[in-house]
Amino acid sequence: MRSYLLRRLGQAVLTLAGVSLLVFVILRVIPGDPAKMLLPEGAPQSAVDALNRELGLREPIWVQYGIFLRSVARGDFGQSFQYGAPALRVVVERAPATIQLALAAMVLTVLVGMSIGVLAAVRRGTGYDYAGTVLTVIGQSLPNFWLGIMLILLFGVTLRWLPTSGFQGWSYLILPSLTLAAFPTALVARLTRSSLLEILGQEYIRTGRAKGLGERAVIWRHALRNAMIPLLTVLGLQIGTLLGGAVITESIFAWPGMGKLVVDAIFFRDFPVVQTVLIISATIFVVINLLIDLLYTVLDPRIRYG
Amino acid sequence: MPSWTLTRRRFLLAGGAALSSSMARTGVARAQGRRGEIIAGLSERMLTLDPANHYSISATSVLRHVYDPLLDVTNDDRLVPALAESWRPLNNTTWRFTLRKGASFHDGSPFTADSVVFTLKRVRDNSKLIKSFVYQDIDEVQKDGDYAVTVTTKRPFGSLPAHLTMLGMLPPSAGAGEEAFFQKPVGTGPFRFVSWTHGDRVELAANARYWKPGVPRVEKLTVRFIPELSTRAAALRAGEIHVIDRVWPDMVQTLKATPGVKVLDTPALEAQRWHFQLARETVKDPRVRKAVSLAINRDVIIKDLLLGYARPVVSPIPPGLIGHTNLGQKPYDPEKARQLLKEAGQSNLTLDFVLMKDLYPKQLEIAQAVAAMLGEIGVKVNIRNLEIATAREQRTAGNYDLFYSGWAHMPHDPDWYFGQWFTKAGAEKLTRFSDPRVEQLIAEGRVPDPRVRQQKYAEIERILWDEEPEIWPYYSVAIYAISDKLSNFEARRDYYVLLHEVGIA
Repeated sequence: MRSYLLRRLGQAVLTLAGVSLLVFVILRVIPGDPAKMLLPEGAPQSAVDALNRELGLREPIWVQYGIFLRSVARGDFGQSFQYGAPALRVVVERAPATIQLALAAMVLTVLVGMSIGVLAAVRRGTGYDYAGTVLTVIGQSLPNFWLGIMLILLFGVTLRWLPTSGFQGWSYLILPSLTLAAFPTALVARLTRSSLLEILGQEYIRTGRAKGLGERAVIWRHALRNAMIPLLTVLGLQIGTLLGGAVITESIFAWPGMGKLVVDAIFFRDFPVVQTVLIISATIFVVINLLIDLLYTVLDPRIRYG
Repeated sequence: MPSWTLTRRRFLLAGGAALSSSMARTGVARAQGRRGEIIAGLSERMLTLDPANHYSISATSVLRHVYDPLLDVTNDDRLVPALAESWRPLNNTTWRFTLRKGASFHDGSPFTADSVVFTLKRVRDNSKLIKSFVYQDIDEVQKDGDYAVTVTTKRPFGSLPAHLTMLGMLPPSAGAGEEAFFQKPVGTGPFRFVSWTHGDRVELAANARYWKPGVPRVEKLTVRFIPELSTRAAALRAGEIHVIDRVWPDMVQTLKATPGVKVLDTPALEAQRWHFQLARETVKDPRVRKAVSLAINRDVIIKDLLLGYARPVVSPIPPGLIGHTNLGQKPYDPEKARQLLKEAGQSNLTLDFVLMKDLYPKQLEIAQAVAAMLGEIGVKVNIRNLEIATAREQRTAGNYDLFYSGWAHMPHDPDWYFGQWFTKAGAEKLTRFSDPRVEQLIAEGRVPDPRVRQQKYAEIERILWDEEPEIWPYYSVAIYAISDKLSNFEARRDYYVLLHEVGIA
């Protein structure tokens, strides 16, 4: 187990180094000039050149990468071109909004998605099952921006039950997390249903029923636990995606999260911010997937890493 | 109107200002019933609290409430006193500013000539600041006592007062630690800075000791940043916010139909301008450019695509700016266009029309309409809708025939536009425009004397109007929507959202 962990951590470091190099190079080879984006459209070329020199972008790319790696080792991700502040601080300031939204959406996804999936599997072929299918098709096919705007118009403008946008408290979280959760909820519901149906056909379920276990124990303790393995994989990937920022949802709800930040940063060629966000989200992604792999062993004692 | 002559209006203004500072000291302003909170929703996110480090319209709007510049500009393009009570040129390269007495920063320190010297030298010397390049012509900034400053420039700098309307004055103490200062900045403005949540909102509180009597009219001002127009409009319709900017023509009907919401519009200080790449063989020939211009039915663009929210162009620079001269509308005459193309020997012309993605309202539809119009005269248009940074790189590289762009005049002065786009050095990596006559006129138009400027600029406009290095399809219209609870709101032509004199019921 220990050597497995060490190996995985080693791989993680390699992955992150690869990500940093890739991001660094891609940002610098795509067309677009940071100084030109920072300065107004009519700034003279001399000002563009001077600003690029100030930003350290006149050095050869490998020199820039060396400087970057050395600074990152010290915990310094450089100065954001746009904000003129440390990139790490700019990104970390957005973390609370991103984490709140991701967690709320995840809780919704797990609770609603699994409930629909379990109900549809257990009551297969009934009205519940068909209703579940309709809901999941809707959830997966509605575009985020449309759903978000419709929710705003209904609950914000017409009914006035909830705030339309912004980031002030719990009530502000409801509409964006609903919007963001729609797709993964549908995904989880479908996966739960199919995975559970497969398990429910297994011999040991019949054995459980035969030995007189209550239906609740059969479903929740035996069937669902085994159905969790593929679900966990998908959930792990989803959490990673949600924490990386939900660009469209954040834009619609004027939510000050990392997704909108990084898109704006890409747009304006704010290299340090893009690098920081991508390295942080890659780290989160790698760590969460490692945790999920470890969780498999808890759910299924037959899984052993050595 | 010359900005330094002592008109009756200015005399009254100065008198009012002097009276106002004495009133503020006795606390009369507080008794004038300042109450309530205004929440504004702006389209563009603010990136900095440093007035010298941006050319963003939203930052200009927000920071005008915290910092005062030396001069303000009214919606009818008059320069009026703010922290400077008067200003005049001593000669072509020297400006003298007489400063307001009795104004103070939010930390209690007085505003004096030291602030002006510090602010101007800082923006000139720190080339990392976005506004630095504009102030490179400043040679020396000297104070003359505590309330007068003389600025000498390396060459005539007639647009300096206009530029100064966009530069908030800082206390000299800011220099001791700029990073800490801009975490919680102080200015002399009508509101104190309270907090800024990046990407979300800025909160400001009334400055009870502001030098202008009765200003501000509310206790609290919050500016939220809501980039998505549908969301901005929804927040206004839900009564969560009181004013939004950058309304698009197709949203107007919905907003007008909402009880409690008013829509205001005004011709903007912005001309759309699609520039030709003048080094390209095809469009180098003025006959080809004229043919393109004649083939575009500007009325259709204005009426059908922009629903009337645009104005016909009668000069390269919009009305209100110094030098504006009405040269009449460009005609629509496809027959003549075909003839010109024939004369130029262009029977099989294809033009690359580059757009900066999602930057201007309805731009793709407009470009498609233009492609169809040019198709009528046998010109094929290849629309390339590129991400902004990529489009700009393509322009630098010269890979376009026609480039879709607009020019919002910041500040209220055409010198920047002319100097950037119609001098050899400025246009070198943009349009490749070069005309010694125009270059000369631009240099001559930089003097402070407004009569000279008016005359030189009128001449430049005539040359450009005739040569058509650009297509000017329309002047933009700025559309705002506000809650009917607001009083005294002014729809600004420069897209600023200024709220210090606005009240709320």
